[in-house]
Amino acid sequence: MPMPDTPKPKTPQGALPMLILRVLHSGPLHGYAIAQRIHVLSSEVLAVEEGLLYPTLQKMLLKGWVTAEWGISETNRKVRFYKLTPEGRRQFKADLSDYDRVSEAIRTILHTA
Amino acid sequence: MGELFRRFHYLLHRNRLQRELQNDIEFHREMSARAGSSNFGNALRMQEQAREAWGWMWLERLMQDLRYAWRILRGSPGFTVTAILVLAIGVGANVTAFSLFNLIALKPLPIRDPESIVRLERRSPENITPTLPFVSVEFYREHARTLSAVMETMGAPAMEFEQDMQPVSVRFVSSNYFAELGTRSALGSLQLPPERNAPPMVVLSYGFWQARFGGDPSIIGRTVHLNKKPATVIGILPEDFAVLDGSDSDVWLPILQQPYFVEGSKLLTDTGSGGDVAMWARLAPGVTPRAAEQELLGLTNQLRKLYPKLIWDNEYIISEPGGHNTIMRPEMYEIAAMVGGLVLLILVVACTNLGGLMMARGIAREHEISIRVSIGANRQRIFRQLFTESLLLASLGSLAGLALSCLVMRLTLTATDAPRWMSSIPDWRVLAFTAGITGLVAILFGFAPAWQIARQRQRRNFARQVLIGTQLAASSVLLIVAALLVRATHHVLYTDPGFGYEQVFSIAPGLDNHGYDAAKSRAYLDQLKTRLSALPGVQSVALSQMALLGNGVTASMSVLLHGKPVTIYPNSVDAAFFRTMDIPLLRGRTFLPGEKDVDIVSESFAARQWPGEDPLGKSMWRDDSKNNKDVIVGVVGDAHIKALNDTDALEAYWPAQPENLAGMSVIVKTAGDPGQMLQQAKTVVESLDPKLFPYIWTLKSGFRKNTKQLEDITTIVGLLGMLAISIAAIGIIGLVAYSVSQRTKEIAIRLALGAKRLHVVATVLKQFCWPIALGAIAGVGATAVVSRFLRRFLFGIGNLDPISYVAGTAILIMLIGVSAVAPVRRALRLDLARSLHYE
Repeated sequence: MPMPDTPKPKTPQGALPMLILRVLHSGPLHGYAIAQRIHVLSSEVLAVEEGLLYPTLQKMLLKGWVTAEWGISETNRKVRFYKLTPEGRRQFKADLSDYDRVSEAIRTILHTA
Repeated sequence: MGELFRRFHYLLHRNRLQRELQNDIEFHREMSARAGSSNFGNALRMQEQAREAWGWMWLERLMQDLRYAWRILRGSPGFTVTAILVLAIGVGANVTAFSLFNLIALKPLPIRDPESIVRLERRSPENITPTLPFVSVEFYREHARTLSAVMETMGAPAMEFEQDMQPVSVRFVSSNYFAELGTRSALGSLQLPPERNAPPMVVLSYGFWQARFGGDPSIIGRTVHLNKKPATVIGILPEDFAVLDGSDSDVWLPILQQPYFVEGSKLLTDTGSGGDVAMWARLAPGVTPRAAEQELLGLTNQLRKLYPKLIWDNEYIISEPGGHNTIMRPEMYEIAAMVGGLVLLILVVACTNLGGLMMARGIAREHEISIRVSIGANRQRIFRQLFTESLLLASLGSLAGLALSCLVMRLTLTATDAPRWMSSIPDWRVLAFTAGITGLVAILFGFAPAWQIARQRQRRNFARQVLIGTQLAASSVLLIVAALLVRATHHVLYTDPGFGYEQVFSIAPGLDNHGYDAAKSRAYLDQLKTRLSALPGVQSVALSQMALLGNGVTASMSVLLHGKPVTIYPNSVDAAFFRTMDIPLLRGRTFLPGEKDVDIVSESFAARQWPGEDPLGKSMWRDDSKNNKDVIVGVVGDAHIKALNDTDALEAYWPAQPENLAGMSVIVKTAGDPGQMLQQAKTVVESLDPKLFPYIWTLKSGFRKNTKQLEDITTIVGLLGMLAISIAAIGIIGLVAYSVSQRTKEIAIRLALGAKRLHVVATVLKQFCWPIALGAIAGVGATAVVSRFLRRFLFGIGNLDPISYVAGTAILIMLIGVSAVAPVRRALRLDLARSLHYE
């Protein structure tokens, strides 16, 4: 059995769940669309690696932040759409305020130095 | 909670969810391709990584490993069957030993609330007694607040039932006994009368009811006679009746009516010291045993003020958990530890043996392992795979061992006529123990080989030699211990014990139970002696206070002789005792009629107390109070009648005094077989006083009963030793055969070049010499240390008895030689041309 390589994330690993929660905030999306939306919203700065996206989505499913439902894609294909749960919404709010606090703190340090 | 639930959901629906995930990734790839991106990663790998998030990868890998292990084991059925057999024996021996211990000491009895039952016993700094006087128990019953109920039980000599030849075992119990245990009758009622003057009642055991009355239900309300006293049968105990402290009986009587059944008994009112009543109690809810002991200590001190003679100095009551089959005494734990150690040795032999086989197989699997390494498996993964294989093997072996142990337990329980509630079906304790042993076994035999093979070092000899050495050491401990016990048994059975028992029988008329005083006792005993002496075939008649080799108390005292504690067994006897028991008078004289304040001591006693001096005329204190100073008038041969297993025991004899005549038993030496005369003797005793129901036994049967325990232990240890060496033999045959097959080419070349066959054999076997020698030496050393704990079983031989050590080691080495012969012979018959061609 091969050992998992250490992936080189193009997206900061810890931030990915938060970004997914953010893009799902405006409605259910399939996996490809999630990656696309993050890419677009970040003004094409951040690219989500597929090898990271699906494990992260599985973890979020287990935690109950998102659920998956069958839908039809724009290319007319059956695919699962991920949808935010009320718990996911709460998690997003909590993450966001945490993130604001931390980045504010970092900014303060950087600017006083 | 929700997350855990979802995790299980993922486990249960993993196939569907995996397909869905696959679909997601597939779709993603299509969309990327459509967008013109071509560097999409490995989809399968991605899927696996995503699935890892579910947290069940370990289970999937385990199942994969187990499936693989199963295929491997099925692929070599010869190895697998041998391994399972070896493990089944090793594990089976351990599980059986634990099951027995469980039934005896751990498993709660099937009675109401067994946890709160305690046994209460008398202690003082000088004395240890399990039983109490009836008066004390009643006092505690009345006053103790920490005890919600107090029960009494008392054993008694067997009684005559109706006119039967075969006496029945009886037990007196308090009226609340059956109700407190929650016993439901098989028939009738179990409510014994709570007052003395009620009509006499008895309860019969289920087994006795079946055997004597064929299960006749009309028995209830019928009158039966015990020792010729009429009593009404009120009920039958259930078939699976669980009795406290494992003391089952045929007939159960109310303790309050004991004076009715044993005429003249003062049991209920006696306030002198001593007493035969076992006290049991139920702790009140929330009370700890400590608190109860504390309260009882206060009550004991109150009781001393009421009856000063009843209570010892500094007496206290201790409590033991009572809700299982046997109250464990320290020496029982010693025996349990010894048995545990011995069966563990069997397990060690089995495991090291298997470890050797596994390593040998490792070489055969070299090819397979190196392929797996070269296609990218890492050591950890291979180790895990190999260890899973061991675990599977261990589980199969343990399962077989559990089945084997169930079978042995079933046979044992049937053969020993164990209580019906004891079942051979393992309970959770036994299952947990088996599971633990399985893990231990897997580690013992699987860890080292798996590690070596995973590191591809399987050709190294060192580990294999360690395994051989350990195996040898463990087997040799078992064999030497078995040899020691065989020698000890032999010694007991075939060495002169210092007294004659073959032609002697003894009568305990039980005068003290029937209220005889000194004068009446003397008259009775004189008459009895005259009548018995007149019987044809009687050679001599004597008196002994101790019941010799029969049921009865053994009194011993521990004294310091020259600063070393020794156990002295005193006995009050009359002048004819030594002649009757064939104990030689070595110096001085025997007792004169009516003599006081003189002693006769055994040879060893005299040698210890007055080394190199003449003991005659020396004086010594009879007891601690130091008001009786005795003069030594004679020295007799050593005769450990009351302590067959204690070679260091010393004996002292005092002349029988009028005040202890009521407790005396009569011993009779006959010209022929004493068994023929028992009926005649019974008639004589009963004709003198029909109230009495004497207990009569031959010393030979008592002696056999005494040595039976030793014989049983010897048989069991002998069996364990046989098991160990047969496992070891299998292992040695396998290893020698293996190392021969490994060196076929070398042997063939040597033979072709004209080497002597003997020389070739020596070369092959040389590698085994050192481990075998070291193993044997380690085994001898370990036994020398461990056997000190066996001393109580080693009658008459030292624990370092050289003959046993030589014999045990010799048997082992011989066996190894014999097991090596077959594979070596095969090597020498090699077809040279063919094997060289093949290689």
